[in-house]
Amino acid sequence: MDTFLQIVANGLMLGGLFAIVAVGLTLIFGIVKVINFAHGEFLMVGMYLTFLLSTGMDVHPYLTAAAVAPALFVLGALTQRLLIQPLMSARDEHVQIFATVGLSTALMNLALLVFGADIANTPAHGVRSQVMLGEVRILTGQLWVFGAAILLVIGLQLFMKKTRTGRAIRATAQNRAAARLMGINDKFIYVLTFGMGAACVGLGSSLIAPLYPTSPTIGTYFVLIAFVCVVLGGLGSIPGAFFGALVIGLVDALSGFYIGSDLREAVVFTIFLLILILKPSGLFGTRMNLSHVSP
Amino acid sequence: MTLKTLLTATAVSALVAGAAQADVKFGALFPFSGGLALLGEESFRGVELAVEEINAAGGIQGEQIDLVRGDAVDNNQAIGEARRLISREGVKAILGTYSSSRSIAASQVAELSGIPYFELGAVADEVTGRDLQYLFRTNPTAETMGIMTIDMILDEIAPGLGVEATDLVIGVIHEDSAYGTSVAGHQEEYGAEKGLNIVTVQGYPSSTVDMSSLVLDLKDRGVNIVLQTSYQNDSVLFLNQSAEAGFEPDAIIGGGGGYSLTATAEAVGDLMEGVLDVDFTQYAVNTEFTPGLEDFLVAYQNKYGEDPRSGHSLNNYVGAMAVLEGIGAGEGFEPDQIVAAVQAIDIPAGETAAGYGVHFGDHNQNDRAMMMGMQWQGGKLVTVYPRDAAVAEFQIGD
Repeated sequence: MDTFLQIVANGLMLGGLFAIVAVGLTLIFGIVKVINFAHGEFLMVGMYLTFLLSTGMDVHPYLTAAAVAPALFVLGALTQRLLIQPLMSARDEHVQIFATVGLSTALMNLALLVFGADIANTPAHGVRSQVMLGEVRILTGQLWVFGAAILLVIGLQLFMKKTRTGRAIRATAQNRAAARLMGINDKFIYVLTFGMGAACVGLGSSLIAPLYPTSPTIGTYFVLIAFVCVVLGGLGSIPGAFFGALVIGLVDALSGFYIGSDLREAVVFTIFLLILILKPSGLFGTRMNLSHVSP
Repeated sequence: MTLKTLLTATAVSALVAGAAQADVKFGALFPFSGGLALLGEESFRGVELAVEEINAAGGIQGEQIDLVRGDAVDNNQAIGEARRLISREGVKAILGTYSSSRSIAASQVAELSGIPYFELGAVADEVTGRDLQYLFRTNPTAETMGIMTIDMILDEIAPGLGVEATDLVIGVIHEDSAYGTSVAGHQEEYGAEKGLNIVTVQGYPSSTVDMSSLVLDLKDRGVNIVLQTSYQNDSVLFLNQSAEAGFEPDAIIGGGGGYSLTATAEAVGDLMEGVLDVDFTQYAVNTEFTPGLEDFLVAYQNKYGEDPRSGHSLNNYVGAMAVLEGIGAGEGFEPDQIVAAVQAIDIPAGETAAGYGVHFGDHNQNDRAMMMGMQWQGGKLVTVYPRDAAVAEFQIGD
């Protein structure tokens, strides 16, 4: 029973980790309607920035989020402005996806060039220490990630519902043409949203860096799992991505123990396929409005 | 059709290249970018040093060696780069590859073109198991590694712990590419042959970000000896998450890759102390058994301004030296002349910088290749097994 509880706890914590990566991904998808394959590399870039800042200035990695999240915002905004936006008028929308795949490979190899393939270790500053909840061991860092993921989801929801900018973002997502007629600068909204999505993963990277060794390829695994979470929760749904991530974290941990570590990915991706077949809109998703395709 | 085109292209460009170049070209095919770039680059440095040493001494058969790099970032690109090296660059042979799966893919291309392929670092069985005519391997294999791990349990660990080897509860975990799978397969097979109690064999993707379930599973089964064949990320993850789950096996034996790297040890700190590792020859070894090792280290430091990051460079250096000197002792650079030259190589054990001899036996595998057993002691990876190569005592038990 203790083992079972421990696995459930591990699964939930893993879910929190996936969630903080998946939230930005689903935000960008939901609004800009671009699947950002470079999202994992944004995470990697953020983790390296965290590593450099926290070792260079000898500060707690969490404090570096104040610089890393804005830096990632700029990276995301530039990606939209310089890479995606020129392609938005392209005849085939899929070109944008290929562009993000290209960006992903470019960033990964840039990191290899700059940092080499060796792992970089962000000092833990105490976040690798354990807390016992009854018989269950959890790292304090994992709890912080989990808490931050919840706050991020609530914060984004409030922003989207309560602020003028948030409403403009949702309006653009719902009907780009109508939003433009209402005087919303849709191009600015896309740049802003892409930046926000990247800033979310920037925040996540400062929290994740002290828990995992950073390497140029760290993003690839995270982003694959984050896709599954996003699809499970419903493409574009922010709370959906969070709950999707928790489900995937649990499935991952439980199947890793009860079915075998060699099959856990098979289980996760079987679920992914089943969702696509049985409920393509996901747990929280609604039908996508692709009005920007023919404005 | 494709084959025919390829062969024609090869023949034509070989002629062109032969006429235009005075030097003799060899291909160096390693993963220089992508996830395996660190050890790919480290492996290449060994080949580069061997070539420079040979060129400085007058080259082979009177010609300077021109090393042409090919980047085997993934299996498809390994194939593409092998084609480029052969048909566009007109190399006489290819040296490579560090990664087993890249080697298997690329050597197939070389075989079809009839160009000799020398594998200096990939350990999977299939590399030589396919009985290719033009493929030769100088380095020890997955089988060597698997057997060595089990022998270490039998010879040192069980006696050190004061128990019968058959009473140990052994768990085998491995990253799930060709490398980890074949090493684990040999550990399981050879362990069973010796009557050892291996309770589980589990694979996982090396890029994984969570091994907590696997750790709990091992803990639940009462495993006290863990054999892990892994890269860097998964070694760090396993050691950290074991400690976090309160899982403390009596011995952890790593297989190559991550466990031999200083960066891994730095990442996990004290958790590395006492961890065992079976791998290619590393640097803290009895140099009477490895003549030339000190010179290699000096040459390495002069060229790259740092210490080698792992033993891969050394083993690739030894392989490349043996093969290139072998070719130098032969006549001509036509494929069959190269094959005849390397088949004549006969270097006994204890006469290379890595300790092992070179002689191609069945399946063109170097039947004198061997690995070493090492242990992290006081933050350094020292050779502890076998005893005639050891520089420190094997530390096990309390």
